[in-house]
Amino acid sequence: MIADPALAKIALLRRESELRPGDPPRTLDGVEAGPGRWLLSYEEYLLQTERGLRFHYRRGAGVTAAITPECTPAELELWRNGSVYAAIAALNGMVPLHASAVAHGDGVTAFTGPTGAGKSTLVAALAGQGFAMFCDDTLVLDLDNPAQITCLPGHKRLKLTEQALAMTGARREEPVTPDLEKYYAAPYAGTVDRPLPLRRLVFIEEGPELGLHPMEGAQCLLRLGEEHYTTALFEGVNGHDRDRIFAARARIAGAIEMFRLVRPRDPAQFMASVRLVAALFEQDE
Amino acid sequence: MTRPIVKLPEAFRETTVGEEVAVMRLSDGDFFSLTGTARAIWELIDGQRDSAAIVAELGHRYAADATTLGTEVDRFVAELRQAGLLANA
Repeated sequence: MIADPALAKIALLRRESELRPGDPPRTLDGVEAGPGRWLLSYEEYLLQTERGLRFHYRRGAGVTAAITPECTPAELELWRNGSVYAAIAALNGMVPLHASAVAHGDGVTAFTGPTGAGKSTLVAALAGQGFAMFCDDTLVLDLDNPAQITCLPGHKRLKLTEQALAMTGARREEPVTPDLEKYYAAPYAGTVDRPLPLRRLVFIEEGPELGLHPMEGAQCLLRLGEEHYTTALFEGVNGHDRDRIFAARARIAGAIEMFRLVRPRDPAQFMASVRLVAALFEQDE
Repeated sequence: MTRPIVKLPEAFRETTVGEEVAVMRLSDGDFFSLTGTARAIWELIDGQRDSAAIVAELGHRYAADATTLGTEVDRFVAELRQAGLLANA
C-alpha cells in the first residue's frame, strides 16, 4: 500500500506508460488521426507521428504502439516519454506542463517556453552550477495536495543540441534519434527522484535586454494558458470547461511565484542569464 | 437607500494573485484585472451595499472627496454591468 498520494501517482504513471507492441486503432470516435496528429477523448489518446509511428492509450489499459520496421527503440522512447506521457498524466487528472525543471532547497523551479526557447540548455547550465535536474521537456503536476503544487518526477533524460552541449559542458551520451540533431546528456548535478513542491515557473522569452521580471495576477493565468501541446491536452481532458480550467490555473498561480526571463539570443550573454536565475535560488537556501 | 449592487456569480470566476484580483468571464474566457480602487470596489460589492454605501466605505480608505469617489464607483459599476458581471439595476 502506498501512503503518499504523490507516490501513488508516480506508480500510476509508471504503470500506465508501459508500452505493448500491437495494432492501435486508426480512429477515435470515428475520426482518423493522420500523420502528425493526435486525438483525445474522455478516456483515450491516439497519436500518429509524421514517420508513421502509432500510439494508443486507454485509461487503465496502458499504451499500445504499432512499431514500424524503420522505427528505432530510441524514437519509440522519445514519443512515449514526451507526448504520450503528458497525455497519460492529463487523462489521469494531473497537469502536464511543457517545461524543464531543476530542484533546489527542497523545491522545484520550472522553465517553460516554445520549442527552441532554451529550456533544456538552461537546466543543463544550472546543473553545472550544482542544481539537480528534475525533468526535461515535460513536467507533471499533481494538484491533489491542498498545501502545495506537487511536481512528480519521472521523465528524466536531458536532450541537448551540439551547441548547447558546448555552452553548458554537460556530458554527451548517445544521439536521441538518427534524424534529430540532439544528444542525450548527463546533467552534472544529477537528477531528483522524489516528488517536490513547485516553487516557481519561469517563462523564457527572447528580447533585447536581459532581465528577470516578476509576474502578477491575470498575467499569470493568461500565461498558463499559452499554446503548448500540454495546454491542449489539459484543456481537452477537461472538456474545454472554463470553470475547471480556471480553477486549476488559479490554484497554480496562487501557490507559486512566476517570472519572465527575457534574454537576447546571444551566446555571450547566456551565462549571465544562468547567474540571474541561480541568484533567485539563494533565497531558498 | 437605492437598490443594492449585485454580482452574477454564475457569470464569472475570480481569484486573487498577489495584489490583483483576476476575474474571468465564463461566457468567453476574457479576463478582467482589478487592482487598487477597482479591486476595492469589486470586493465591496456584496449584494447588500448600494452605490452610496460603497462610496462611504471607500471614503474611509482613500483621501478623495465623495463626489470624485461617487463618479468612479458609478463608472466602474456601469463597466461591470456592461461586461455582464453584475445584475442590472
